[in-house]
Amino acid sequence: MLSLHNITKNYGSFTALADVELEFSGGVYALLAPNGAGKTTLIKMLATLIFPTKGEILWNGDDIIKLDATYRDIVGYLPQDFGYYKNHSPREFLLYLSALKCIDRATAKHKTDELIEVVGLSDVRDKKMKKFSGGMLQRVGIAQAMLNDPRILILDEPTAGLDPRERVRFRNLISSLSKDRIVILSTHIVSDVETIAGRVIMFKDHKLFANDDLAALCATLAGKVYETDDVAAVKTPYFALTEHQDNGTTVTRFVGETDCSASARSVSPNLEDVFLYIYRDGAV
Amino acid sequence: MNEREKNASIDYILARGLVKPQRARERIAEMARALGLRFIFWDTGYSLLFAAVTVAMVVAVFAFTPRDYRRSAAVGAAPLAFLIITLFAEVSERASGLYELKQTCRYTVRQVAALRALCYSTVGVAFTAVVAAASASGAREFASLFPVCLSALFICAVLGLSVMRFIRAQWAYAAYSAVWVSFSLTFPLALGQSWENALRDAPVALSAALAAVGAGIFIHQISRMLSEVKVYAVAS
Repeated sequence: MLSLHNITKNYGSFTALADVELEFSGGVYALLAPNGAGKTTLIKMLATLIFPTKGEILWNGDDIIKLDATYRDIVGYLPQDFGYYKNHSPREFLLYLSALKCIDRATAKHKTDELIEVVGLSDVRDKKMKKFSGGMLQRVGIAQAMLNDPRILILDEPTAGLDPRERVRFRNLISSLSKDRIVILSTHIVSDVETIAGRVIMFKDHKLFANDDLAALCATLAGKVYETDDVAAVKTPYFALTEHQDNGTTVTRFVGETDCSASARSVSPNLEDVFLYIYRDGAV
Repeated sequence: MNEREKNASIDYILARGLVKPQRARERIAEMARALGLRFIFWDTGYSLLFAAVTVAMVVAVFAFTPRDYRRSAAVGAAPLAFLIITLFAEVSERASGLYELKQTCRYTVRQVAALRALCYSTVGVAFTAVVAAASASGAREFASLFPVCLSALFICAVLGLSVMRFIRAQWAYAAYSAVWVSFSLTFPLALGQSWENALRDAPVALSAALAAVGAGIFIHQISRMLSEVKVYAVAS
């Protein structure tokens, strides 16, 4: 189990995260928050790239800083800006990272071929990566993160910049890899979270705001989300969420703190509604 | 720590057993075995090429130094092979988009940099010997000049490793290199013959002791780079 106790990270006088208490035991956890909320700070602390100003991160009760290489052995990490060697093939690149991960050569060769197969890059395994699409590079990224068969897989904005088809493919891949391990996924793409996350963690004002499953989060707005094509008819205070076109009319989706059923129809809340409502004042 | 975490911790220690901390020498041997030359110097080809060209230019300039200033030139040139090779490798590593990713591997990018620095220091010592031999007119002069040049090399290397260890800015090592070269030019230019005389008259025992202390600190720095974790965070 990975647990965070009273984690605070300051950059000078700026507090990026304050007093975060979390536990990760298994499955996919999504860190969902707007940019600048502290997701990447948390991810980097979990990956031992930066260290908490206060508090401790424990893996099975041991401080990850003291565990040092033993902790890094069980972590797979895909950074937000995944760099790569343009003039090398995925196979060469994975063999190199296998060496850095101290995987013996025979196992590395076997594991590399296996992962290239899993991420669907067998046809291009010996081609230089400079001609790869964003989705293909992300698949190389996930393959390198899986090389050491990590107990903790940390993915920072893995689907950002991918086209819809690549996103779906990538989500399916993450989902299939999430068995028997902790997957921590940082994102601000709500649909990714709805599809694969078992638990959603949200930050607000640089503090932990929510840590719950999808249904429980959506239930916080149950009975408060409405849609109408005549928003002017709504006389009670409301918070507009989204608008979409339906047969030439503009349908407005909104949250009403009081009953609006006389002027609008009640709809089931989704995670996007929750996200927009929580961060309605622009707070991160 | 709650009861559940305490039990998990005890189970973990029992499963793993008590492990004796690895010494720097053992760590270096293990890394060298696991990585091999190919992966220790992976993608440093361009850096080595640029470094070789720069060192060749330095050697060309050195060859035309007036005889009266051979010691000043030798002491100035001796650390340059190490400085330049490390500079190109370090800057290209830090500018690489893989820096963070490699820092999360078992052998972190900083540990690999330490291993490379150790290899480059061997190249640096060899280059220093060549420079001292080319500047000296006999074995006796070589014996007095070589320790002075070695002292310069290890002072440069120790300061360089300190910059690598403690300053996280991408261009820190490049800035340090520029400062070192400026200082090494300032002394002979400002002091002229007095600097040359000071180098000629430096007691061999003193310069040898300085070189030995420098080498000791350098090895200690390498050892620290191989073992410390927290100071190697990528961003502050």
